[in-house]
Amino acid sequence: MAVCTVYTTQSLNSTCSISTPTKTHLGFHQKQVVFYSTGKRTSKRGSSSSGGPCVITCSAVDSQTVVIGLAADSGCGKSTFMRRLTSVFGGAAEPPRGGNPDSNTLISDMTTVICLDDYHSLDRTGRKEKGVTALDPRANNFDLMYEQVKALKSGVAVDKPIYNHVTGLLDPPELIKPPKILVIEGLHPMFDERVRDLLDFSIYLDISNEVKFAWKIQRDMAERGHSLESIKASIEARKPDFDAFIDPQKQYADAVIEVLPTQLIPGDNEGKVLRVRLIMKEGVKHFSPVYLFDEGSTLSWIPCGRKLTCSYPGIKFHYGPDTYFGNEVSILEMDGQFDRLDELIYVESHLSNISTKFYGEVTQQMLKHADFPGSNNGTGLFQTIVGLKIRDLYEQITTSKTATPLEATKA
Amino acid sequence: MATLTFHSLTGTLERIPASCSCSNPRMSTSFHCNSKGEKRVSRMTVKAMGAAKYKGTQMREKQLAEMIEKKVTEAKEVCEGDETSDECKVAWDEVEEVSQAKADLRLRLEIEKKDPLEFFCQENPETEECRVYED
Repeated sequence: MAVCTVYTTQSLNSTCSISTPTKTHLGFHQKQVVFYSTGKRTSKRGSSSSGGPCVITCSAVDSQTVVIGLAADSGCGKSTFMRRLTSVFGGAAEPPRGGNPDSNTLISDMTTVICLDDYHSLDRTGRKEKGVTALDPRANNFDLMYEQVKALKSGVAVDKPIYNHVTGLLDPPELIKPPKILVIEGLHPMFDERVRDLLDFSIYLDISNEVKFAWKIQRDMAERGHSLESIKASIEARKPDFDAFIDPQKQYADAVIEVLPTQLIPGDNEGKVLRVRLIMKEGVKHFSPVYLFDEGSTLSWIPCGRKLTCSYPGIKFHYGPDTYFGNEVSILEMDGQFDRLDELIYVESHLSNISTKFYGEVTQQMLKHADFPGSNNGTGLFQTIVGLKIRDLYEQITTSKTATPLEATKA
Repeated sequence: MATLTFHSLTGTLERIPASCSCSNPRMSTSFHCNSKGEKRVSRMTVKAMGAAKYKGTQMREKQLAEMIEKKVTEAKEVCEGDETSDECKVAWDEVEEVSQAKADLRLRLEIEKKDPLEFFCQENPETEECRVYED
């Protein structure tokens, strides 16, 4: 059911007959637009009694589900980014209770995170037969992805398939109810144009090859069967498909978090100290890019000095406008590591447009998850900030009243 | 708590990143390492204690570990002929998939400290999978 709320700046003195809009902005699913008319009261809603004719045109907001897309090659729904994001909204995200223990979905009060692997059209055996990797669009059902994301966005629950990463099979579907915030995470959130258009905000996590290698070593070296060679071979073999199908999505993202090796330590290849760039598209609705000191200017900033002592290798920031795949962007960059709490709060106090609700909120969020990877560098910092920006975007979208041009036609 | 055992494989002189972060304990992961990740290829085995509560999860971990080993071997075989073939790509993609699945499980157990079978076992405590894992 769609609710149309009419707001007027001046009281309606004249008779208004509310006519149903001749064209709706409801798109695919035609829904009844219900008007709450409150009779004689010259109130904010509805019409009042006597006077001349007037026409109220109204566009209805279908539902309040905000859809966020996250492109990442690091597994699904269990990534650190997702945890930080759901934490910003409060509450921990858990798999659906009582359902398939191998479900990839995470649900918290406000958010539901869906893993796009669930839209694989081919299971592991099928992919082997056809000779396609999971990165290949041919292994994914974009029609179903589009239909279901659209349905959830418009407030309709769906039976979503489950891709079981252990067995490599497609399990029976689970019911997903439309949440306040729907996050679709996976390899192809921005691949299909129709799905792209449903996204209110999109993020691409761009890990450089060197860092990817270092992270996968950390991930896999403890496993029997793996060696440096196998880890390297796996990355190399997947690279052509990754470059062809996944990487191009970054041009569509509203925010890209780029993770690179540090420039502070010459010759470093350990991948522990990181240089992280937050590339923010300009002109995105409800999203105002984070900036340092003076918006639109270019500057480098080393916070360590007289007021703040940092340990090696320190911290270096850079901020400035740029273009990225033909789009106007602002880039905020952090190289180095936080070693102490006061470094973090010092940095936070110098950033602007971070959409915090109180001073120190970024620091608090980072501390809350101090055991997550990236808690002492730009990955954690920017993921947390993006989480706050998404909260801000969500609040803007849900509290924005739809414009109601009140056209009083003179009799 | 995790105990770390270090085995080094001599012969390769590549420098590898230390396999765990040794940053500030206030902001670190749940285990400390005392290696400097030096000029040897080293393999770390980590035994995470107390995290897998149910037998089903313990079996799952074992299954994934075995799958990784098996699929790496398969991939090496398949790729021997032609490294650029589709079969080779798919084989390494499978390795990636199960490696990530195992890592996700480990992350869940070690950081979130929750057994994925928790809810299922509350409802079905008498099943084989829900026997409480004892060492």
